Amino acid sequence: MAANLQQADASSVLEARRIHNQKLARQHDQTRATWFPVAVLGVLLALPLLQLTGNYNYLLHLVLFTASYAVMASGWNIIGGFAGYISLGHAVFFAIGGYFSGVLLARYGISSLLTAPLAGLVAAVCGYLIGLITLKVRGPSFIISSIALLMIARILFDHWEFIGGANGLSLPVTDLPVETAKLPYYYAFVLMAAFTVWATYRIKHSKFGLGLRALSKDEVKAESAGINTRFYKVLAFALSAFFVGMAGAVWGEYLTYLRPNIFLIILVSANLVLMCILGGKGTIAGPVVGAILIVAFNEIFVATLGASEINIMATGFVMVLGLMFFPNGVIGTLARKGKLPRVLNWD
Amino acid sequence: MTDILQILILGLALGGVIALMGSGLSLVFGVMRIVNLAHPSLIICGAYVSYWAFKLWGLDPIATLPIAALIMAAIGVLLYRLMFESQAKSARYSEMTVLLTFALAMIVEGFLGAAFTNTQRVTSPDYATDAFFIGSLFIPKGQFYAGVVSLAIIGALTLFLNYSRLGYAIRATTQNREAAELLGVNVNLISMVAFAIGIGLAGAAGSLVSFVFSFFPAKQWEWIAMLMSVVVLGGMGSVLGTVVASLLLSVVAAFVGTWVGATWSTMTFFLALFVILLIRPQGLFGEKPELA
Repeated sequence: MAANLQQADASSVLEARRIHNQKLARQHDQTRATWFPVAVLGVLLALPLLQLTGNYNYLLHLVLFTASYAVMASGWNIIGGFAGYISLGHAVFFAIGGYFSGVLLARYGISSLLTAPLAGLVAAVCGYLIGLITLKVRGPSFIISSIALLMIARILFDHWEFIGGANGLSLPVTDLPVETAKLPYYYAFVLMAAFTVWATYRIKHSKFGLGLRALSKDEVKAESAGINTRFYKVLAFALSAFFVGMAGAVWGEYLTYLRPNIFLIILVSANLVLMCILGGKGTIAGPVVGAILIVAFNEIFVATLGASEINIMATGFVMVLGLMFFPNGVIGTLARKGKLPRVLNWD
Repeated sequence: MTDILQILILGLALGGVIALMGSGLSLVFGVMRIVNLAHPSLIICGAYVSYWAFKLWGLDPIATLPIAALIMAAIGVLLYRLMFESQAKSARYSEMTVLLTFALAMIVEGFLGAAFTNTQRVTSPDYATDAFFIGSLFIPKGQFYAGVVSLAIIGALTLFLNYSRLGYAIRATTQNREAAELLGVNVNLISMVAFAIGIGLAGAAGSLVSFVFSFFPAKQWEWIAMLMSVVVLGGMGSVLGTVVASLLLSVVAAFVGTWVGATWSTMTFFLALFVILLIRPQGLFGEKPELA
């Protein structure tokens, strides 16, 4: 009898809590500027209409490039931002996605746009298996192991004749006229970016995301609170590999050739880390803001200075300055000061 | 049999150089808990010092070794002051410093690439291409000298750490930072000295590397993984461990290179790193690291 009473009490308490939570969520939703990201997406989807009035391929390329990095940086954010495992080896998944779809395109003529989700899955499976090994250690050791992963992958891809080795693989060039040639990739990347932002939002606000944030603060405490930390972080690694792999697949077809020294370089990984740090690690809008900043910055540098070595040096400088003076990134710093504009609060 | 002995000798000679390359890394990690990803790029800086000294004035790389070491040590002090001193209170110290050194590596690579272009360089003193012959065995003089000088420097470092007051302080800081501070060690100063010594060792290693390997600014990425595997296998922070691990791994790499193929010899290091992390993350001589 007493037990029944207790149960009844417990369920009524749970019910009350649920209703309260819903009320809070509704209030939160009312103050949220959901219209802003939707409006941005709308503008971006309508942007190619400019092509009717002239040739804006460079503008489209910039948006496409930014969107591709937004996809990858948001993907990286799942493991690097939410779970706190800094990976410098994510270029590997970029390459795995790119090569998987690229080989399918080169041998069987299936467009990468169709196989991209599959490429993402392959990258995710690889990520899961790799994560089982490398996520056993954290902190500096993990970062080192991720660099080693990149080096191993580079040697393997350089010597794997089936996929062209160090010479790479050239893919068929699109036969669309120049005005519309970029459009399929443009839409693919913009939609992928929208999907990724939505997905990271859902992940962050799920029980899974809460678990990841808990284990990023203190893994032992998270474990003793009943979180299966091993599974959580490996899954987070696989998920982040999924998005990076998907971006790699479309990027490969867009570029029309695959080569290890384009896909498997540490600069790609470094850019992802840099974007998340500059924008704000662990926030939803951070990687997108970071991607916009870095692409703009890169364009300015390439336009004014050109040389790739200077570019590497400038990237390093921005990274040092960002780390030393804004370790929380644009979004994080503003949020901490309570000055984050409502339109950028996507969390 | 002579084949095996020959490979063993070549592996050990290279291992000595790699040990010197890794020892600075290990020292800096031990005292400051900084995984210095910029270490290989600073080694390349040292190599350029010796390269230009040889190219312009015909100075022997081994003779310019102290100069390269001193220049790099001074740069180390500067870097410590500018970048790492303020990080000591950061909550995510280890992560922050790894990313900072990573960025530093990119800056140095970019700078060297812009200044000297990314062409392969190597200093070529007479002994670099010469060899001793013992029966049917040959020992390349360059690698032999480099290995001997490396081991001598590491020996001096060990003596310094074990028998000088500054060495005591450095080891105390390695073992327990707070306790050392309580006992009156100026931890900040010791960190700076240790960092300077670590970077100075990178400079010294650079002089030797300049005639043992060919180098170019972007080569650092290959070396990062190689040195990290050595340092991780030896146990982060243990100089002795680094020496043993680098001798071991470079001998294995030499055998792999001869019997399997030259491209796979660097792979030995990377795979070893993975295997060590998998079965013994604390390495041979290390304490248990922060485990997940």
